[in-house]
Amino acid sequence: MEFEGCNCFRQRLVLSTLSGKRVKIRNIRSKDDNPGLRDFEASFIRLLDKVTNGTRIEINQTGTVLFYQPGLLYGGSVEHECNVQRSIGYYLEALLMLAPFMKTPLRAVLKGVTNDPTDPSVDLLKVTAIPLMKKFGIDGDGLEIKVLKRGMAPAGGGEVLFTCPVRRSMKPVHLTEPGKIKRIRGTAFSVRVSPQMANRIVDSARSILNKFIPDIYIYTDHMKGPCFDPTDSNLYFSSLFQGGCVDSTNQSLSLLYMTLGQQDVSKTLLGPLSPYTVEFLRHIRDFFQIMFKIEQQKPGEDEQKGGEKVLMTCVGAGYSNINKTIK
Amino acid sequence: MEKKEQKRHQHKHSGPKADKKNRKKEQGTEPERDERKRNPRAFSVQSAVRMAKTFHRTQDIKTKKHHIPLVDRTPLEPPPVVVVVMGPPKVGKSTLIRCLIKNYTRQKLSDICGPVTIVSGKKRRLTFIECNNDINSMIDLAKVADLVLMLIDASFGFEMETFEFLNICQVHGFPRVMGVLTHLDTFKNNKTLSKTKKRLKHRFWTEVYQGAKLFYLSGMVYGEYQTQEVKNLGRFISVMKFRPLVWRTSHPYVVADRMEDLTDPEDIRLNPKCDRTVSLYGYLRGTFLKNKCQVHIPGVGDFSVADVSFLPDPCPLPEVIKKRALNVKERLLYAPMAGVGGLVYDKDAVYIDMPSGHGSQQQEVRPTTELVQSLIGTQATLDAKMAASKVSLTCLMFSVLIVRKQNPMESREWDERAQRERRRAVFADEDDDDDDDDDGDGEQESDEEEDEEEDDEEDEDEEGVTTLKKHDKTAAETAAPPVKKQKCEVPMEMPAFADSDDELEKSEEDESEEDESEEEEENEENEEMEEGEPAKKSSGPDSGLCSEDDDEDEEEDSDTDEDGDGTVKSKMSSKHPEEENIDTDDAEMGYETAGALRWKEDLAQKATEAYLRHQLAAPNLRKLVYGTGEHINLWDDSNDEEELGGLFKVNRPEKSKKVRADAMDCSRFQPDNSHDWDQEEVRSSIRDCFVTGKWEEDKDAATLLKEDEELYGDFEDLETGQVHKGGNDDEINGDDDDDEEEEAPQVKLDDDEVQKNKRLEKKRRLKERFDAQYDDGDATYFDDLKEEMQKQAELNRQEFEDVDDEIRVQYEGFRPGMYVRVEIPALPCEFVTNFDPHYPIILGGLGPSEGNVGYLQMRLKKHRWHNRILKTRDPLILSLGWRRFQTIPLYYIEDHNGRHRLLKYTPEHMHCGATIWGPITPQGTGFLAVQTVGGIKASFRIAATGVVLDLDKSVTIVKKLKLIGYPYKIFKNTSFIQGMFNTVLEVAKFEGASIRTVSGIKGQIKKALRTPPGAFRATFEDRLLMSDIVFLRSWYPASVPQLYNPVTSLLMPVGQKETWAGMRTLGQLKHDLGIRNKPNQDSLYKPVVRQVRHFNPLHIPKELQKALPFKNKPKQMQAKGKTPRDLQRPAVVREPHEKKVAALLDALSSVYAYKNKKARAEQHAKHKEFLKQKEKQEAERQKRMKEERKKTYRAMGQKEKKKLKSSLKGASKDN
Repeated sequence: MEFEGCNCFRQRLVLSTLSGKRVKIRNIRSKDDNPGLRDFEASFIRLLDKVTNGTRIEINQTGTVLFYQPGLLYGGSVEHECNVQRSIGYYLEALLMLAPFMKTPLRAVLKGVTNDPTDPSVDLLKVTAIPLMKKFGIDGDGLEIKVLKRGMAPAGGGEVLFTCPVRRSMKPVHLTEPGKIKRIRGTAFSVRVSPQMANRIVDSARSILNKFIPDIYIYTDHMKGPCFDPTDSNLYFSSLFQGGCVDSTNQSLSLLYMTLGQQDVSKTLLGPLSPYTVEFLRHIRDFFQIMFKIEQQKPGEDEQKGGEKVLMTCVGAGYSNINKTIK
Repeated sequence: MEKKEQKRHQHKHSGPKADKKNRKKEQGTEPERDERKRNPRAFSVQSAVRMAKTFHRTQDIKTKKHHIPLVDRTPLEPPPVVVVVMGPPKVGKSTLIRCLIKNYTRQKLSDICGPVTIVSGKKRRLTFIECNNDINSMIDLAKVADLVLMLIDASFGFEMETFEFLNICQVHGFPRVMGVLTHLDTFKNNKTLSKTKKRLKHRFWTEVYQGAKLFYLSGMVYGEYQTQEVKNLGRFISVMKFRPLVWRTSHPYVVADRMEDLTDPEDIRLNPKCDRTVSLYGYLRGTFLKNKCQVHIPGVGDFSVADVSFLPDPCPLPEVIKKRALNVKERLLYAPMAGVGGLVYDKDAVYIDMPSGHGSQQQEVRPTTELVQSLIGTQATLDAKMAASKVSLTCLMFSVLIVRKQNPMESREWDERAQRERRRAVFADEDDDDDDDDDGDGEQESDEEEDEEEDDEEDEDEEGVTTLKKHDKTAAETAAPPVKKQKCEVPMEMPAFADSDDELEKSEEDESEEDESEEEEENEENEEMEEGEPAKKSSGPDSGLCSEDDDEDEEEDSDTDEDGDGTVKSKMSSKHPEEENIDTDDAEMGYETAGALRWKEDLAQKATEAYLRHQLAAPNLRKLVYGTGEHINLWDDSNDEEELGGLFKVNRPEKSKKVRADAMDCSRFQPDNSHDWDQEEVRSSIRDCFVTGKWEEDKDAATLLKEDEELYGDFEDLETGQVHKGGNDDEINGDDDDDEEEEAPQVKLDDDEVQKNKRLEKKRRLKERFDAQYDDGDATYFDDLKEEMQKQAELNRQEFEDVDDEIRVQYEGFRPGMYVRVEIPALPCEFVTNFDPHYPIILGGLGPSEGNVGYLQMRLKKHRWHNRILKTRDPLILSLGWRRFQTIPLYYIEDHNGRHRLLKYTPEHMHCGATIWGPITPQGTGFLAVQTVGGIKASFRIAATGVVLDLDKSVTIVKKLKLIGYPYKIFKNTSFIQGMFNTVLEVAKFEGASIRTVSGIKGQIKKALRTPPGAFRATFEDRLLMSDIVFLRSWYPASVPQLYNPVTSLLMPVGQKETWAGMRTLGQLKHDLGIRNKPNQDSLYKPVVRQVRHFNPLHIPKELQKALPFKNKPKQMQAKGKTPRDLQRPAVVREPHEKKVAALLDALSSVYAYKNKKARAEQHAKHKEFLKQKEKQEAERQKRMKEERKKTYRAMGQKEKKKLKSSLKGASKDN
């Protein structure tokens, strides 16, 4: 399959790896002043090479053309130095998609930037992606994201451990009831500033959240590092406003797992589709010939649950993990 | 099969039994009821241990019955059941199919060619396929068969093909197998018949399962099996149930029953060997088929599908089930390859199957105007469209094939009959039986057989002739069979005009009045339009422009289009899918109004409903995501694709596009900051997301509590005896009363209903709660799982039930049971030119990444009936998944430490591992291996079976390698060793490696020596000898040759399809080329020469000699040496005188000797005489003496007697 531009770079490579279809991406930043692949993308390709066996990658001299022939997902113990241009979340998102389909359980240590404003932070993935994966039947002791060290932008130095067991196939899910929020837990962290800063963040967040629910506990995590992240509770609200059963960063993850399920109907209620997810849906159609039935649900009149929701329905591709060894 | 009149049971009216019964009747049923009480000892616990054991056993049996529950994915309208009729040649396969078809449809099909689909019952269709005696066909059909009718010539017994086929089935998931014994009329002796039946049955049972169904077809009547027997068999087939098989439920497949070549004829003219575009038709089976997916055609190769579309079912089930049986019109028969298909609708054409005589005159049904319209509406090139819309001369081609095939087949069989060696399967344990049978009437049997065979041949000759005659007849005039075909065309939803059109066409050609006919045609059309679709003509241009309209317009357009398109499907491939769907809907509606339609009456209504719903429910999101392409961005700007005058697109400047193509790759959804969360109203918009917010009606805590009260409100205070009633109870009662009062007024009916619903809801809840409580103990994990699966299955069915098919196939893919047309580009031309409908064409869908190639690790076992072991690196043909391919396996065995050690040969009776380079296939898939597919060389062709364990891109097999060296200098425990390596570097790599001598002394490599190169110092646990050989055991990674060679048997010329030969094995190559390796001279056996043993003389020490007694002392007996010369006597030389004297003396002495001799002889004779005399005298003397002695003894005896007497007397006197 052929694509143009580095848009949706990760999606394409991940889906190619899962579907076994080779991919050629041309004109990567060809009109840019600094053409070709960036360092973080190269680092991402290297990570893919580490978790697979028999992958063939060809990049031309300028780095504007990439040919990727996927091998088989191998897994095992992997240690990767992530490029600091993007946070670990960038890499972890892709690994989350691949991890259940490896030959041996994955145990990845990713080093780099743990939190930055562009990518979903490691903490966010930890609290959202892991429960989501459990819904698809990926559970057990092995599933875990652990922040060993925190690291901030220019220097990096953070460390995250991600372990995931392997599965033969995904379970179909029906996540149509978002449920209610019972309690709020959070983490405020500060790096190389006064520990008081963290406490002040917690206070300000509580003041707003308390208007909804009293059961709030926010952990503080103080580390030595270059800067701190002003977590905003308003962000939380807007994601709530948009949210369905799955939050916006994990939309594509849940859609992928639905696609790779058995040949049964899966349903998930999502918030409004992010552009990233829309691209992802198109790519799923290209790689797996799976189309989702997309139904918009208007919020009820007397219900005050935020914005519009979208009900995604699909029949799984009947994908089974071809990498796992049977004895 | 005849039923015997059985005697009915007679009730006893008198006697002890009757008395007992009467007594029981009088007493009532009490004693029966309470067996436990009546006989308590029988039910008491005798032994706890035994009870535990029995409990365990019952539990074991229970759990053994459990299978892992699977989601039931069988479609509502399942595809026809594939019935494969299999058996060695001349066993009666075609006859059986013919009989079954006649049984089901009352139609006669003279030639079985390709799959034949029939409607066998109200809910079942069958596809019959005949399996010819070719291992390729056997393998392919075993993969798609739902039911196998295994024909066995009882007069001969089992043949190897039967067992081979069973083994193939076993590997690829066992379909249902039913044995059918034929040629039973050859047995004249009833006893042998029953004996044979029994023997065959038991053998069949051991192979399939105990109690497998075996049918007996005794005797033929007019070249057909007996009607009653065929009917019975048919009944069994139509009630048979099937188990889902793993491979088939996870892969879509199509057994093609029709093939059309769509290649541009011009291309073929220019290059007859150009790649062909072919469309294949058939029922989709297995699971959902996605458009643009990859398929494998066994015998051809891997292809990606260009297009899939579904067509109206050519052989539909009756739509209403009211009647008890099918009427004649509903008993359809569809076999396009055999020339029975009637009318076939395609995407862009309608094919009519004409009686074969008129094949050349086939015409397209589409009126001329329609053709023009379709051309206007196209966007592809004219040539291509013309090619696609051309009439295909299917019927003609087939009929030609049939005729050509018929003759050689017959003749060939004649030859075969004389030559063919049947591959009888003889089993050791059955030999005796056979012998027994043979003893009885072996000769007779064989005679009978021969007779029978001859008869058969004659019959078939006659048949052949008749069929040929039929063909001739049909060529000359439309005779009986075509009429029948016409009959089966009638229910094919043929629009009325199609028929008439045809007739018109014929008449036109006869009269050659084209103008008039055209007018007539047009008239016809107009009539049609008036009947069904008024605005056919207007639809054309609309559809042409539609694709360029923007989204909203499109929808509106489609509204107007709804009444647009006509009966005949014009080409609208360029259109938006949704629109197409509408078109087809209309078309269907059109058919219905035409009156000849019989399937899904309310489909049109459904479709319109669905459409309306769709319009309401799904606004633009679907289109925005999947709609017109990748370049729509939802959140950017909706004016992205602005158009000028609805025709021209604004071409964006290059730069902006590129920017989007290289956009930031980030999953984070930056929230819009339109909401200001500090405001109360905005904040309240998400209030209900928290537990503190408002709950839904059915989940609100207050209402739940209330309901609880309703359920559990009633209770009695035991202490006080006061009864409390639930709060609502009174109300409800009151309501009930009210209901009774208010029954009459209609206004309150709603209220009533609400109440009723409430009550029902309450009941349901109560029941649920009760069930939950009651079943809690019994509900196992298994039950939960089963329930979950059932729910899922229901959801699967319901989710897309009311969505229109055209949309539905996009979501789900094409679902099994649909009749699909699959277009495949770039097929090799041999597929078309060498097409033979007798060989099955299967389209096997491949899952994601199953089209790739990699290393496969599998567990393999040589088949115990294959009489040779397999050699590593000998090419082997594997049947794995859908594929048949040749590859080079490497066999290995796993050592205790997990090492995969290469084996030279497969073990004899054990599993081993095998690694091949082949197509990626999911783990757990079974496979079988054969050495060749061409001809029958081995006695049992299936060489090995096994299962795929693992897939990888690298291999882990190692080969044992022993490096040998010799010591050249030995110190104490240190030795210098040479000959093992060649350079210092090599040694350096092996420093520290352990080495060993043949005699078992272990050691270690220490350090390389400078000279000679490759020598090294090593230490050992003991001192070596110069004669010791030192070796280093190492493991060398073996590489698997990357050979993946699909068996392209379908591309072989007609008649040579079973002669595909791939790569030859080394042994075959050597045999064919006459190469013989010179053996190692040392390995040859030579005659054993034994040396004569030579013993040294015994040496006794002097001391010992001295001590020995004389007897044992070695005697000093030297051998007498030569007498010295002086002691030798000299030779005497006589004088002549002396000679004379000596001669005289000699003469005298000889005279003397003669005299002496004579005298001695006389003397001897005299002595003899004397001895005779003496003997005589002696005898006389003896005689005399004997008498003398007799006398004296007598006298003595008498004396003794007297004495005794006297003494007795004396004694008596004394007494």
